[in-house]
Amino acid sequence: MEEQHVQIEQALGNIQKLTDNIETVIRGKRKQIQFVLTALLAKGHILMEDNPGTGKTVMAKTLAKSISGEKAGAANFKRIQFTPDLLPMDLIGSHIFDDVKKEFVFKKGPLFCNLLLADEINRASPKVQSALLECMAENQITMGETTYPLEKLFFTIATQNPVEMEGTYPLPAAQLDRFYIKIYFGYVDEATELNIYKDYLGIQNNLNDIKQVLSMQEVLFLQNETEKVFIHEEIIRSVSNIVRATRQHPDIILGASTRSGITFLKCLKAFALVNGRTFVTEDDLSEITGAVLEHRLIFKNKEAKQKVLASILTKELDRLKKLNLTVGNNPIV
Amino acid sequence: MGIGKINSFKKVLAQLILLALPTAVFIFYLLWRLNSYYSILQNDYFNQGVYFASGMSIAIAFYAYRFRFFTTAGVVFLLCFIVYKYLGSITVGEFDAFYFSIQFLIFAILFSAGWLVGYGFGRSKYFTISWSVLLLVSQIVVVSKTTEIRADVLINAFVPVLAYAFYIIYSAELIRNMNEDETRFSFFIFKRIGGFAVLLLVLFLILFSLFGGNFKAIEKEWGGSKAQQGKGDDNSEAMTKKDKDGFVSNKDQTKLSGSLSKDKQLIFVAKLDNFFTDGVTPNPLYFTSTYYTRFDTSTQTFEIDPKMPYNDLYEPDPSKIPLYFAKADSNIIKNSLSTKNRKVVSTEIYNVYLSPSEYLAPSTAFYCQPISVPKEYKDQYRSAYRAKMWVSDLNSAYFIYNPAGNWQLAKFQEDRFNLLREIKKINGPDKNFMDYYTFMPKDEEYKKISALTKKITENASAPIDKIIAIRDYFLSKDEFNQPLFKYSDNPGVPGLPSANKLTYFLLENRKGYCAYFAGATLFMLRSLGIPSRVVAGFSTTDRSNKNPGWYWFYQDQAHAWVQVYFQGYGWIDFDTTVPDVNTQQAPQPDGTPPPAIPVTYLVADGEVESVDTVTKQIKMSVNKLLYHDKDYTSKEKKDLLMDVSMAVIKTDTGEVKLNVVKKGMHITAVSYAEVLKNILAEKNDGLAAIIDKLPKPVPIDEIKLFAKEEIKKLMDKKQKPKEVIDWVKILWILLFALCAAVVLVFFGPWIIWLYFNAKAKAEGPSKAYNRYRAALYYLNQLGYAKNEMGPNDYGNYIDAQFGTRFNLFGNTYQKLKYSTLQLTESEQKTVNEFYSPFIKQVKSKVPFKTRVTRFFNIYNTINYFSKPKTE
Repeated sequence: MEEQHVQIEQALGNIQKLTDNIETVIRGKRKQIQFVLTALLAKGHILMEDNPGTGKTVMAKTLAKSISGEKAGAANFKRIQFTPDLLPMDLIGSHIFDDVKKEFVFKKGPLFCNLLLADEINRASPKVQSALLECMAENQITMGETTYPLEKLFFTIATQNPVEMEGTYPLPAAQLDRFYIKIYFGYVDEATELNIYKDYLGIQNNLNDIKQVLSMQEVLFLQNETEKVFIHEEIIRSVSNIVRATRQHPDIILGASTRSGITFLKCLKAFALVNGRTFVTEDDLSEITGAVLEHRLIFKNKEAKQKVLASILTKELDRLKKLNLTVGNNPIV
Repeated sequence: MGIGKINSFKKVLAQLILLALPTAVFIFYLLWRLNSYYSILQNDYFNQGVYFASGMSIAIAFYAYRFRFFTTAGVVFLLCFIVYKYLGSITVGEFDAFYFSIQFLIFAILFSAGWLVGYGFGRSKYFTISWSVLLLVSQIVVVSKTTEIRADVLINAFVPVLAYAFYIIYSAELIRNMNEDETRFSFFIFKRIGGFAVLLLVLFLILFSLFGGNFKAIEKEWGGSKAQQGKGDDNSEAMTKKDKDGFVSNKDQTKLSGSLSKDKQLIFVAKLDNFFTDGVTPNPLYFTSTYYTRFDTSTQTFEIDPKMPYNDLYEPDPSKIPLYFAKADSNIIKNSLSTKNRKVVSTEIYNVYLSPSEYLAPSTAFYCQPISVPKEYKDQYRSAYRAKMWVSDLNSAYFIYNPAGNWQLAKFQEDRFNLLREIKKINGPDKNFMDYYTFMPKDEEYKKISALTKKITENASAPIDKIIAIRDYFLSKDEFNQPLFKYSDNPGVPGLPSANKLTYFLLENRKGYCAYFAGATLFMLRSLGIPSRVVAGFSTTDRSNKNPGWYWFYQDQAHAWVQVYFQGYGWIDFDTTVPDVNTQQAPQPDGTPPPAIPVTYLVADGEVESVDTVTKQIKMSVNKLLYHDKDYTSKEKKDLLMDVSMAVIKTDTGEVKLNVVKKGMHITAVSYAEVLKNILAEKNDGLAAIIDKLPKPVPIDEIKLFAKEEIKKLMDKKQKPKEVIDWVKILWILLFALCAAVVLVFFGPWIIWLYFNAKAKAEGPSKAYNRYRAALYYLNQLGYAKNEMGPNDYGNYIDAQFGTRFNLFGNTYQKLKYSTLQLTESEQKTVNEFYSPFIKQVKSKVPFKTRVTRFFNIYNTINYFSKPKTE
């Protein structure tokens, strides 16, 4: 027990280090980094939406480089640029006839990796998008009769251009559901941007010389530890309230599913860990509700998209704010 | 002009139900009231209400579409105008044309008004406000038309308008702001309106419970005043007033007004022992209730003045005098200033509808003795008393009018005039007396009266001749040989509300009821320097020869006349009111008078000692005793056992049961029992000795209870003591409530803060919670609201503002709240030591002035406690 505690403390410390590490390259994006790590620890995947050139790819790269792989070197990082003519085989791999063995052997595609960057995912055809479904949900690929397991640590960072842009195929709801978190990367503020311009060479170097601060084992360990994070009953109630509220709200056409609720809980726990805590607080709720739920809901109009979830959340936060849970729970001696 | 909907069906429906319907109801009410003031409306308020409502509803439905106002309304109004003109040209006959066009005009005006209102509800944002103002103004105009501004008139007029105005402004704004796409639109609307209604109800209930007693009094006042007024004639005046039990008495003041309402109700019956010198012909006398010696020029009201010089008005309360015990005041005779031709006359008054405490008698009464009413007549007469008066021989109801060919009466009049003609100049006992009774307002209007009087009395020298000249003036004929003055209960009012009604009566209208004649005569006499006063009471008519000396008094006999002072003879009645040709023959039959009262052998007055309802016996301690008409009142008290099985137990207002009688009550017991006839008193017997001689128990025929508060409570609710509305108290309570509300609104946030702060400073298991809450509240009140921020963001925001370590505390609090982990030592220290320095730090950063102004802002508090709205 004591040993595990020490281990957690250390792992949590390493997460902080990892965040700091990534921040040397991706400046002014602490929130986004935290979200990415949350998705990672919750054993989920993340979808980042924004215009090209806001640092999405670099983010994925840096993360991959910061995690040491099983063997020497960084974690196995693959990047796929999605285009309209991309085929599922290009992702999964294909059977190729081996002249020597006189049989078809399975040539693994880029999916067999630890960290996959699916760039501009919404530019590929729905067929390709759906090929990602199984591997993201089950961590395995079935090809004909054979099922190939993926790596133990399999984390997808997908990026997409804003849906309104030309030549995009919007992701179906089922596919979106696989992404635990969707974030908007966004541009940095003026001061940070100026800073980046002044120091872009340094950043380049940082990327090249990035240190490996977290081992694969530690990541897997933390993924398991995530489940053990304490979540108070009242916060679970809040999650339930929020999920139910999305279903009843007149401005939401499609509300959140029960699976979304479970994902929500997982993300809450993971986010708490990322913030160095082993318990979930109101803050976690207030921070990630939008990132977890928004892309799962279908709103009546744009205005509703901006307001509804925030107001539901505000109501819940208000409820929590007024609760007095300290009595009997953890009395101060 | 493209036609498209502006308002959805739902919104139109909401407007129709929630705005148009209450408005229609209110307009019905308003029209109903207007109808009673304006005869042109023909009392057709139902149809008129329908015109208005239809115009309004059509307009609401119509303007739900994208119609323009000016063109459409223009067409409607033009149409109305054309029809109006057309109607005028096709109708035959002057009356028809007039009638139809007036009717149509009313229709057109109301329909158009409804149309405008409907448009206003549908489309105009600020319409309801101007509409409410318009209604208020119109109500003010209506109220100004009533002569009497009483509390109930004001309440009737303004409370509905104000309530309606609040309602309509509120709900119109509500409907306007509602998003009709909302699925629960109707629910929201009805929730709000329901809330409004509940709020009103609660307010009303609070008011009612606070001022319950006062409200009951108001209610009674309303009930009373409604009974007194006829249907809808607010502009009338009665010579008598009724109290809450329906008893009649003369009014404390008499105002000149547009019309007089009279009832044909028997008020009392009197037996008057006044006969002409032949001893057979009854000589009726007017019954005096009170004297009006003063006239308030600003309100044109005659008033009673208790401080009149040589006050000869005897005002005992017969209900307070023990039965058969007499009360007299010899000062009255002295103050009557009369020695010549006076004698004592007695009268018995049997009260039917007179207020029990009212005392009426011909002038100048000085004696009052309550007597009992014979058993068989109990239902008919409530009470009775005997009165004695210092009556002048010169006084008579026939003094001026109605010789009616009767030589005896004609001679009588002539004799008396001759007697008074000897007085060439009237001198009062002193200057003060003369000044008081000849006082006249110094006003142009009164100078007109003076001039007229001079003209009329040119040829008369003696005061009595002047009086006769004035009388003759009222009786004179005009150039068409028609009576110059006419009696009318509805003389109408001068065009200008403030105009002098007396000069209007005397010089222009020449129609009026007794108060006008009396008032005019008073000032005519006073302008000649003749001391005079107005008397209110009942005129006496000798209706039949069946029961000589008995007179019946109905409510329409309530009367006012004038008394003139002649030195030596005292005050003499003069009546200048011309006969009322319309009601003179009113069939008001006399009844059978009550028979003579049996001889009372025993009258005992005292307090009840004990009551036995089984054997029907009462023991009383007697301190006043009348035995065989001899008074044995003494200081000693003696117990008397009475058999009351046959007795009638009475109060001022009716019979009661024996069980009402309780120990300690003041009662008077009367016995007519023949047994007592032969038990005679010895010469030196005192009260105790007589009681000892009486049989035990002594049979009693009648018991009178003196109404004390507790007895009144025991009796039926009608007898409740009159509750006086203490307006000053109400005002104070209102003021207090207002202050409390202000304090609550302004100091509420501060009080809440004191509470939170106190809780935060206390130690205990919830101290982290209390401190966090207090800190949040404090910051919120200073304008740094948390709103939708998470605790961490908020903490950072606050720390950036004030340089505090709120975030650290917040995080610790969160740990405490949501985890099962133990706090580390440093965290505990944070919890323990955070609060006071934090508040101090915040205080130092926010200037005192800003802090105070923000702290008293109730909106911040509301924001803190209210739940965030779901968009």
